[in-house]
Amino acid sequence: MRTPLAWLNLLHERTRLTVAIAGVAFATLLIFLNLGFLGALATTASQIYSRMNAQIFLISPQSLEISTTETFPQERLYQVAGIEGVQRVMPLYVGYQQWRNPETRRNRSMFVYGINPRDPVFTLPELQQPETIAVLERPDTVLIDRFSRPEFGPQTTGLETESDRRRVEIGGQYSLGGGFAADGTLITSDQNFRRLFDPRPLDRIDLGLIQLQPGANVEAIVQAVRAKLPQDVLVLTQAEIIERERTYWIATTSIGFIFSLGVIVSFIVGTVIVYQILYTDIASHIAEYATLKAMGYRSRYLFSVVLQEAVLLAGMGYVPGLVLSIGLYTLATKATSGSLPMSMNLGRAIFVLFLTLFMCSVSGLISVRKVISADPAEVFS
Amino acid sequence: MIRRTPLAWLNLTHDRRKLLTSLAGVAFAVLLMFLFNGFKNALYDSQVQLLQLFNADIILVNKQKYNMFVPEAFARRRLYQAQTFEGIAAAYPLYTNTANWKNPDTKLTRPVRVLAFNLQDPVLPLPAIQAQIEGLKLPDTALVDDKSRPELGTFTPGTITELSDRQVRVIGTFSLGTDFAAGNGNLVMSDQNFLRYFANLGPEEDSRTLGTVDLGLLKVAAGADPEVLVKTLTERLPKDVQVMTKAEFVQQELTYWRENTNIGFVFTLLTGMAFIVGVILVYQILYTDVADHWAEYATLKAMGYKNIFLLGVVLQEAAILSVLGFIPGCCVSVLLYSLTSNATGLLMRMTPDRAISTLILTFMMCLIAGSIAVRKVQATDPAEVFG
Repeated sequence: MRTPLAWLNLLHERTRLTVAIAGVAFATLLIFLNLGFLGALATTASQIYSRMNAQIFLISPQSLEISTTETFPQERLYQVAGIEGVQRVMPLYVGYQQWRNPETRRNRSMFVYGINPRDPVFTLPELQQPETIAVLERPDTVLIDRFSRPEFGPQTTGLETESDRRRVEIGGQYSLGGGFAADGTLITSDQNFRRLFDPRPLDRIDLGLIQLQPGANVEAIVQAVRAKLPQDVLVLTQAEIIERERTYWIATTSIGFIFSLGVIVSFIVGTVIVYQILYTDIASHIAEYATLKAMGYRSRYLFSVVLQEAVLLAGMGYVPGLVLSIGLYTLATKATSGSLPMSMNLGRAIFVLFLTLFMCSVSGLISVRKVISADPAEVFS
Repeated sequence: MIRRTPLAWLNLTHDRRKLLTSLAGVAFAVLLMFLFNGFKNALYDSQVQLLQLFNADIILVNKQKYNMFVPEAFARRRLYQAQTFEGIAAAYPLYTNTANWKNPDTKLTRPVRVLAFNLQDPVLPLPAIQAQIEGLKLPDTALVDDKSRPELGTFTPGTITELSDRQVRVIGTFSLGTDFAAGNGNLVMSDQNFLRYFANLGPEEDSRTLGTVDLGLLKVAAGADPEVLVKTLTERLPKDVQVMTKAEFVQQELTYWRENTNIGFVFTLLTGMAFIVGVILVYQILYTDVADHWAEYATLKAMGYKNIFLLGVVLQEAAILSVLGFIPGCCVSVLLYSLTSNATGLLMRMTPDRAISTLILTFMMCLIAGSIAVRKVQATDPAEVFG
C-alpha cells in the first residue's frame, strides 16, 4: 500500500489541522445558515397551501401571493364542479382586518380567511367538529389562530372585541400558523366575511380550491380544467402554487438577493481559509515535495496529493459544520419562537457538501501551482 | 535612544506573498461582517428613509397608526386645530394609499404606495419633485421613484400606463427607495389627482376623500420648541390622534421593525458567525507565523526577553493585520453595498460610525486570535527548541 501522504501531511501538525478543520467548519456553517434562513422564509411563505384540503387551486393571474390577491368570479368554480373526478369545489376569501386587542385596545393587522363553514377547506380536524361548524355559522363570530402573536391579545372563547370597527366574538381557536404575510389569522364564515368586509361581494373569490375524488388523476384533471376555463384564472396543482409563492418571495423581494449574496461571500471566505491552510502546508514541505520530484514523481502525483488534502479537509470540516448547523437551526427556531422554522433537509446537506468539496478543490488548484513549479535544483541550491 | 527593531512589522513583511494572503483573509472576514451588518442596517434604514425626508418638526397620526403599515387616517380638522396653536407655522396633510400599478412592459400589476399632497405645500423637499410641480398639476399625472423594484417596469417621462385601473401619465422620476410598507416603490401625485384615483373605488374597497389624512406634518415657527409644542398638542387635541416629534416618529417605526421581525436576530447571528470565522482565519495566520519563527522566538527568550515582550510582538502583528486588512475589506464592502443597493433598492449606507464599529470588531477579532496564538510562544522553552 502506498504511503497515505496527504493524510500524513495533514496529521503531521495537530494544532494546525484542528484550526484548519475549524475554519472549514465555520465556512460551511455560514453557508448553511444563509441557506437555512432562505429556506425558512420560503417554508413559512408557502406552508399555508399544504394545510389546505385541495389538489388543484384556482387563482387570478394578477395575484402575487396569498395576501396580495385579486379576486375572480366564483362561476369559475361552478364550471369546474362538473368535471369528472372532481369531488368538491370550495371558495376561499382572504383579507386584512384591523383587530383590536381587547386588553390594550391597540389595533393590529389580522389576516382573515372566509370559508363556507361546511367546507373542509383546511386539513384541521378541529374545524370539522359539528359544534365548531355551529359556532362558525353564528353571526359576527370568528375563530382565532392559537399561533397569533401575543400582541393580538387574549384568545378566550366568548371574548368580544372589534375588527375593523365591527363587534365580533371569539367563538373558538384553531392551530394553523400565520405564514409570511400575517402574524395572526382568523377563520370566519363566508357570511361573516361579507359582514366584516362590507361592501365586498361574495361572488368574487380570492382562491378556488378543488378537491378530487380519491385515486383521480391530478394531471389529467388539471388539463381538463385548463381546457374548460377562460384565461382569467390560473389552474395550479398544490406543488405548482407552492412553487409560485416561493418564487415570489425569493425572486422578487430583497430576501433572495441578500441570502444568495451571503452564500457567495461565505463560499469565497471558505476558499481563502482553505487556500491559506494548503499554501502554508506546501510552503513548509516545499523541500520534501522537491525531493519527491527529484526522485522522479510526476507533477501529477503531487497534484493529486494536494487535491487529496483539500478533499480530506472538506470532509473533516463539513461534518462538524453540519452538526453545528443543525444545533444552530434548532436554537434559531427556538429563539424566534417558531416564526423562523429552520430545518435541515437532505437536499441542502448534499448541496453544501458539494459546495464544500468544490470550495476546497478550488483552493487546492490555486495553491498547487507552487508545487508544480517546484524545481529541485532551486530548492537545494 | 536607539529605535527598537520593528520586529512585528518585519515578521509580517518578511514573506510578501504570505502577507498578501493574510491580508486577503482579514479583508474577507471584514467584508463578511460589513455585509451582514449592512443588510441589517439597510433593512432598518429603508423603513424610515421616507419619514426622515418629511419637511416637518412634528408629526400627527391616527392614534392607532403605530407603524406605516396601519391604514388608519384621521380627520383633517385636527390639522386645522393644530395650526391655531402658537408656535405652529404650517400644517401639511399627506395622503397615502396602496394601489395597483401596471407594468408597462409586461402588463402585470404590482402594488405601489401613492404619496399625495397639496402642491403648494413643500412636503417632500426633494429637488426632483420640486422641479416638476407644474407637471403634477395636470390631471392623471405622477412621478415615479426610479429606485422602485424592477418589477414596475421601465418608465420614462411620457410613459402611459395604468394605476388602480385608471390611465396615468409618468411625467418624471425622483429617487427614494423601497421599504416594507411601500412594497415595490413609491409614486408622488397631487391631492387632486389622488381624488381622481381613489375617490370612487367601486364596491370592493373603501373610497378616499381629502377629509381624512394619513400623516399630518407640522412646521414649528422659528424659536418655538417642538418638544413643548408636542406636549401642549397632546394635552389639548382630542385623543384620536397622537402627536410626536419627527425623531420620535422615526424611532417608533424603527422600534416596530426591531420588535416585530427577525431581522435583528438573523443578521446579528450571521455577523457573530462571521466574527468567529475571522478569529479562526487570523489565528491561522499568526499561528503559522509563530510556528515558522519558533526558533527565533526561542532565541529571543534565551537572550532574556520576557514573555510580555513576545506577547507584545504577536499582538502588534495582530493590530497591524487588522488595520491593513480592514482597508481593502472596507473598500470591497462599499462596492458590494452599491451593488446590493442597485439590485434591491435597499438603502445600503456606509457611515463613519458603522465603519468604526466594524474596525473595532476587526481589532478585537485580531486581538483574540493573537492572544490564543501567543500561548505557543510563551510556552517556548529554548532548551527544548535547540535540544
